[in-house]
Amino acid sequence: MQNVDAIGSGIPVYPKDNFLTNGFTLKSWLLTKDHKRIAIMYLITISLFFMAGGLYASAIRLELLTPETDLLTSATYNKVFTQHGILMIFFFLIPSIPAVLGNFLLPIMIGAKDLALPRINLLSLYIYWVGGILTVYALLQGGVDTGWTFYTPYSTTFSNSYVMAVGLGIFINGFSSILTGLNFIVTVHTMRAPGMTWFRLPLFVWAQYATSLVMILGTPVVAITVLLLAIERTVGVGIFDPAIGGDPILFQHMFWFYSHPAVYIMVLPGMGVVSELISNFSRKKIFGYEFIAFSSIAIAVFGFLVWGHHMFVSGQSMYAGLVFSFLTMVVAVPSAIKMFNWTATLYKGSISFDTPMLYGLGFMGLFLIGGLTGLFLGSIGLTVYLTDTYFVVAHFHYVMVGGQVIAYLGGLHYWWPKMTGRMYSEFWGKISAMLVFIGFNLTFFPQFILGYQGMPRRYASYPAELQVLNIFSTAGASVLAVGFIMPLVYLTHSLFFGKPAGDNPWMLPGLEWRTTSPPPTENFVTTPVVTWEAYEFGEESGLDLEGARRREQVSTVV
Amino acid sequence: MATHSDTHHEEFHYHAPGLQHQFEDMKQQEESVSIGMWMFLVQEIMFFGGLFTAYLVFRSRFPLAFAEASNHLNAFWGGLNTLVLIVSSLTMALAVYFAQKGNRNMQVIMIILTMIFGATFLGVKVIEYTDKYNTGLVPVTGWNKKTKKADAEHAAEPAKKDQAFAIPLIETRAEASEAAGDHSAPYINPKGEFQWNSGRHVFDYAIEKEKSGKPYLTAAERVGYFSNGEFDPNKYRDKIRIFYYIYFVMTGLHALHMIIGLGLMAWLLWAAYRGTFSADYFAPVEMSGLYWHFVDIVWIFLFPLLYLLGRHFLGAH
Amino acid sequence: MLASEWVPIFPDAASSFAWQVDALYAYLILVSIAFTIPIVAAIFFFGVRYREREKYATPEEMHGSIVLETVWSIIPFVISMTIFLGGAYVYFNQFRLPDDGMDVYVVGKQWMWKLQHASGHREINELHVPVGRKVKLTMTTEDVLHDFSIPAFRTKADVVPGRYTYLWFEATKPGKYHLYCAEYCGLNHSGMGGWIYVMEQRDFDNWLAGNESGQTPVQQGKDLFENKLGCASCHAGGDNQRGAKLENIFGHDVKLVGGQTVKVTDEYIRNSILNPSSQVVEGFQPIMPTFKGQVTEEQLVSLVAYIKSLSGVTGSAATPAAAAPAPAANTAATAPAANAATHSNSNR
Repeated sequence: MQNVDAIGSGIPVYPKDNFLTNGFTLKSWLLTKDHKRIAIMYLITISLFFMAGGLYASAIRLELLTPETDLLTSATYNKVFTQHGILMIFFFLIPSIPAVLGNFLLPIMIGAKDLALPRINLLSLYIYWVGGILTVYALLQGGVDTGWTFYTPYSTTFSNSYVMAVGLGIFINGFSSILTGLNFIVTVHTMRAPGMTWFRLPLFVWAQYATSLVMILGTPVVAITVLLLAIERTVGVGIFDPAIGGDPILFQHMFWFYSHPAVYIMVLPGMGVVSELISNFSRKKIFGYEFIAFSSIAIAVFGFLVWGHHMFVSGQSMYAGLVFSFLTMVVAVPSAIKMFNWTATLYKGSISFDTPMLYGLGFMGLFLIGGLTGLFLGSIGLTVYLTDTYFVVAHFHYVMVGGQVIAYLGGLHYWWPKMTGRMYSEFWGKISAMLVFIGFNLTFFPQFILGYQGMPRRYASYPAELQVLNIFSTAGASVLAVGFIMPLVYLTHSLFFGKPAGDNPWMLPGLEWRTTSPPPTENFVTTPVVTWEAYEFGEESGLDLEGARRREQVSTVV
Repeated sequence: MATHSDTHHEEFHYHAPGLQHQFEDMKQQEESVSIGMWMFLVQEIMFFGGLFTAYLVFRSRFPLAFAEASNHLNAFWGGLNTLVLIVSSLTMALAVYFAQKGNRNMQVIMIILTMIFGATFLGVKVIEYTDKYNTGLVPVTGWNKKTKKADAEHAAEPAKKDQAFAIPLIETRAEASEAAGDHSAPYINPKGEFQWNSGRHVFDYAIEKEKSGKPYLTAAERVGYFSNGEFDPNKYRDKIRIFYYIYFVMTGLHALHMIIGLGLMAWLLWAAYRGTFSADYFAPVEMSGLYWHFVDIVWIFLFPLLYLLGRHFLGAH
Repeated sequence: MLASEWVPIFPDAASSFAWQVDALYAYLILVSIAFTIPIVAAIFFFGVRYREREKYATPEEMHGSIVLETVWSIIPFVISMTIFLGGAYVYFNQFRLPDDGMDVYVVGKQWMWKLQHASGHREINELHVPVGRKVKLTMTTEDVLHDFSIPAFRTKADVVPGRYTYLWFEATKPGKYHLYCAEYCGLNHSGMGGWIYVMEQRDFDNWLAGNESGQTPVQQGKDLFENKLGCASCHAGGDNQRGAKLENIFGHDVKLVGGQTVKVTDEYIRNSILNPSSQVVEGFQPIMPTFKGQVTEEQLVSLVAYIKSLSGVTGSAATPAAAAPAPAANTAATAPAANAATHSNSNR
């Protein structure tokens, strides 16, 4: 028996008073402590960064249409791919799901009024803005051309670009990430509603928790690394430039010690979203709940042990290489477990193909390929050949874009009605999901082949015989771009003209669906007391499915 | 339909002072704040951990240079600072105790004492950094004292300042006085460069040791101190300079955390003076205490690693 | 546009361990297909079979299955271990340097590769190696990180400033293969490539001896005289003639500025190229630049042979040993010479 009242009935009504109407001044937004408002502000900012990063990506693909360096100069191209990486990784992907969807939904999913530390949440947003502004300023002044990896001694001594400023921007931004992670960990420990035990938590929350562990433990290391880089660049003395006694490989170790776990920051939340999507749109309890929950933790932990697989050809010792290769193979297994569990969830479900589900299924296919190609790159005998080629580029785009970005879009579409109270056009949603899927594959699959051909990455020009595949890739990128731009249009349109969603448009059992859409500022009118398991679709859910069915019939008749 | 966040239900709720709106009760707030502070300290450990890693890597590669460089840090001041911080941690813990007891006067006294000790720490650091500035041991060109004329007092002699506390760098005292008397050149530093004029005799000591059969240099040192088979004082100086770079970055970052700690204490002082804290509500004192203890612990690790190297290392057999 | 050119999936495999890398790749592709097809098929099949028939239907509850979880944990783990072991085996092979390799020294710098054979022979952005011989590269860089990558041999290694890194291969097929820089190094990273020429042992020996194209010394000298070194611009006669005539001078006396008379010998010709201002022919201006540092000993030999042939003298050129001063000067003088000469020759 549920303890919340008729909230969750699914009646499509737009509540007059909600978190969006609770104050219309700029001050009420900029000084808010409401996690939902903070999430919306993050949403707007990261969308801007995504578009900027996307423009850089378009420049890259257009330049690579021809073998010569004709569209951009080499110097410009080097800045373009560097800045594409920096913006996309630090300012879009790492915040994306945690700062937008996590911030908005985590407290609601556990039945809390807000995050444990709302002012820290606001500080996190401010820090993100400061780091972002500093970085954008540096990019406008002339940018950086070191690659997002900032390898020394090029970045300390040889590059003539704004390394220090961008380094500082990234350093500052790191604290935004740390504070978000800190907040999530505290919240999950202390703010759960009565009856919400750890094993009743939605898997999205488990994923955010695992991600937060990585954020807290890993980000400080890149912070100190980038700080040391900035200092070395400024004062000319340091520990990374061999000309003054330093060690460039130490930089790589310190950098990758964070940046490998960072990629798990960039995929674990996506996996959490996918668990929600697959389960809810099959109307079936997720298969192997504990295994998926523990896999997330296992990935977070093991993710800290494999950084050397980015350094197989760097000159590190053979034994180090073997150890890292072995551990890389081990870290692949929890992801495989998740993939099988998601597939088993579909079995004997009742699957509806709404837009969020299309993104969820798309994730499964694309992450499968991305993850499997990770095995190629973890196998040390093979990876010596594949390192620093387009194979790596294809692999990480499959897991980061085909993985996290697709999951982010899926989550955005899934929880859009909850966040805004409006339904978007399902037709256009499906079209753009398909365009994204097709465009993505067309863009990046040829790059696997290019990589095996030996085409190195970060090349503005390449041998003429590789042009055909590059043309395919650019063609795919144009389709992908359309697929990405479309949601901007129809989602914005839905804000003004979309149908009211009501509290539970898809009649789902999660705690977030048992409050209005958009929710009130304090999330719930009365604190929920949870007596049901996660993904409870049956009797225990207390949802008025009959009523919803009757409403469906009426609307189809009318 | 509830609207504003501070809408309460009909019943009267007693709110403990300082309870924030998102929490149900003080216990939840205290637990949250505590976990939050511990998580923050964990990430601070990772932050300093990167620096410790860099230090350990270079120390294990170039122990001789690091030992010699360390000998020019004043272990007296460093030791004094260690004592000062430990006592300040005591006063901090007492401040937490008195806050919990609700004893306003004692709280205030303890916080003030903690601040005094913290300021003392920073003052000693100023003394130390000034000494490095004067003797040309700041690793960045131009950040040392620029001297144009011969300044005999500050000639860069080996082990001059530390004779009271250092185990001699050279095997016999006779050699020590000889070396001290031998001013290679008066200290002139017009550009404010990093000065390191010694190294030769320490290095020769190492070579002597090697000749007697026992390997004394590490593999990295066999490459790192030499050019074309000859001892290269410039390359040796590079390693010394790396020590000082790490020294300044680590102690500088630590001092920055100490300054932030003092700011925190100032706020705490003001709140304690106003009688904010009692048995019901003293979490801010406790959390500030945690931060202060953390800053102390980092120093406890920094001090031996930076200041106490090589004092036995070179003097022993 | 090379749209018509077929892009092969597997590039040329031209080293002794390339097949191992390709085999590993093929195995991984098989494993990937073996996992992808069932999962994607299952997704499709389940999607169709279990699609929503009744709105908000509640399917039967299914609890997890420890058996299934164990099975699909163990099997991927075992497979990933086979991948690791296969990779480790191939890697051992690649990493362990041979004792009997032919040494080549590589220095990367922005944005070119400088290579030197053990024999002293230098190359820029190109490496000639014999087929079937183990070649061991000892590498470093003068400035930033670079990476010496030869896709056809399926190997690469970073070059790191301040230390040496190593690479070895044994080429199995004569041909011309791409060399790339595969670690981002700044402005001309994409342009920092070159070619590896694998030749039959005989051709390689020839090449090493300076006889790249099987030309005779006279033909080589002619090529240098007329094309590569630009001698013809002053010595070829016609309006441009600013230098002494070189036809029919061998064995005769010439009068120099300053009154001296010398006989035109091999040594004289050689000295004129390396130190022209020391023996300017009377009536001519001392404007000839020195080619010291720009010609190798082998090239000097062929130039001398060619100029002698202009006097109708055929037959073997003087040996390098006879013409050259002390051997120590050989490497010192010719090392930068080789650099400049090959650099200007191999315009990319």
